[in-house]
Amino acid sequence: MSALSVPFSFNRLALIASNTFLEAVRQKLFNFLLLLAVGLVASAQFFRDFNFGSSELKFIADFGFGALIFFGSALTITATAQLFFSEIENRTALTLLAKPIWRAEFVFGKFLGVFSVIGVFCALTIGLMMALLWHREGQLMAANPEAFEAGRIMRYGDLFIVGVLQWLKFGVLSAIVLLIASFSNTNLYTVVTGFFALVICHLQYLARDSWSNVDSLVLRSVVRLLSFVFPNFQLFNLSDEIGQGAGLDPMLAGRVALYAVVYITVIGGLAVYSFRNREI
Amino acid sequence: MNTSIPAISIKGLTKDFAVTLRGVKLRAVDDLSLQVEEGQVFGLLGPNGSGKSTTIKIILGLLGATVGEVKVFGVPSHQVESRRNVGYLPEAPYFYRYLSGYELVRFYARVCGVPKAQLKARVNDVVDWVGLSQAANRRVGTYSKGMLQRIGLAQALVHDPKLIVLDEPTAGVDPVGSAEMCELILKLKRQGKTVLITSHLLAQIEDVCDRVAILDHGKLMVEGSLLELVGQRDRQALIVDPLPATEIEALREWLTSRGHVLNAIEQPRARLDQLFLSKISRAGQLGGNPGVGSNVVPSSSVPKSSASASSSAPKA
Repeated sequence: MSALSVPFSFNRLALIASNTFLEAVRQKLFNFLLLLAVGLVASAQFFRDFNFGSSELKFIADFGFGALIFFGSALTITATAQLFFSEIENRTALTLLAKPIWRAEFVFGKFLGVFSVIGVFCALTIGLMMALLWHREGQLMAANPEAFEAGRIMRYGDLFIVGVLQWLKFGVLSAIVLLIASFSNTNLYTVVTGFFALVICHLQYLARDSWSNVDSLVLRSVVRLLSFVFPNFQLFNLSDEIGQGAGLDPMLAGRVALYAVVYITVIGGLAVYSFRNREI
Repeated sequence: MNTSIPAISIKGLTKDFAVTLRGVKLRAVDDLSLQVEEGQVFGLLGPNGSGKSTTIKIILGLLGATVGEVKVFGVPSHQVESRRNVGYLPEAPYFYRYLSGYELVRFYARVCGVPKAQLKARVNDVVDWVGLSQAANRRVGTYSKGMLQRIGLAQALVHDPKLIVLDEPTAGVDPVGSAEMCELILKLKRQGKTVLITSHLLAQIEDVCDRVAILDHGKLMVEGSLLELVGQRDRQALIVDPLPATEIEALREWLTSRGHVLNAIEQPRARLDQLFLSKISRAGQLGGNPGVGSNVVPSSSVPKSSASASSSAPKA
């Protein structure tokens, strides 16, 4: 490498990421989805009339994670596609990519910007859910002290870890959408294909489970290959283990996190490769 | 010394775009060869669809060449390194609307690696130079077209590039904004910068360019200095006070007696844009006041050739 060459710069990458984050938080869609998610999580406390006792807490947690997953997925797909195509369609990418920057800095900068936005979304939603659970659990402890003799039953650390894993899952989804956007010509195509990818990733465990029952070697190989190409999002659904027995296995959580990081790296790399030769 | 390396060197450039899935291709640039020397203001002219913007995008590495070679200061244009010394103002620029003018230029300065210690001063200098100090804290979304062009020029200049590429810098801008842009280009020229400019406004090109090339359907039709291309070397014009008819006749006879011919007697006319500028109050700002900034491009390395014109250059 000559002394004059321009090295890959994490500084520039961070600049692009922070600019993307700024653009995202000023979009109405982000605010709208955030408000909806927060509203939904907050509304869980109105189910107290059922008086489920400890299972009521589980219900609130499941309800909160449901809101997080639903709105988080929608936010991830739309924000990634929108923030990428706003640069292309508004031609700000022309000015930016005419500077001495690498396309990899642009793609990963966009990814990190969206990933930060989703991080804020997850942190606010999980934070509110945990605050609600803490509050409600305190009320239940006062009303039924005998049911809480051993102290609080909710494992808030586990809740936090599951929230982080959901964030990582959204990161994988964002990388997939970015890969689609890197060769797609329109925002709409990217969003629609992104939702298809989300469904496939959630259902691919069915294919994984069924390959042993397929007789044809070719078909079995194809199914097996597809199950590796698309990440298995069911692995991230660990919320069922919260509040059960010994709680969340940290080794399992670590393996799932590593699984997400590997997929983000590989899919992100493919997005860079695809975008490298894209004509702007 | 790199004095012999041209700012832009294009050899046998051809660019095809696939227009259908069956492989039908559109040839946007056809075997183009050009050279732009350092310090020149070079005009790339041609009608819509003639390949000007495609050529510029290939120079900037935004598009790849199908065939041929493009180098910027000796570095192949597909390499990131080739853009280190290039500033680019796109046609009808659109910037991040949610940033202020100052934030926008600061963002691009940081992307281009302007050192932190110099960042504030350079951004202030260049915003001042394009005459946008008063509006620097306003959101870019509120800027007029002329202001967008000027903030676009500021972001193109903020890292003190040697080559500035201006794609239709006066498109959609009123005559005053257009004249301001021309004045800024002339100032860049005095600083020794190389400027590559495309424009449909041929009168403006004529005012600022040293050399021009005309493209049509992607092919180079003609290239040369303005004097070579439009100067009439076998003619001369004398501009005199109004003469009565008898004296004109006497002059004609005098010229004939010496073997010359009086070809035409015409009333000189001012150009319409000059008349327009003389009647518009905002045009009074042209020529060195904050309307178009100071006379010197903020530069961290003002070329020696322009040192005499740059005695007041801000230290970056």
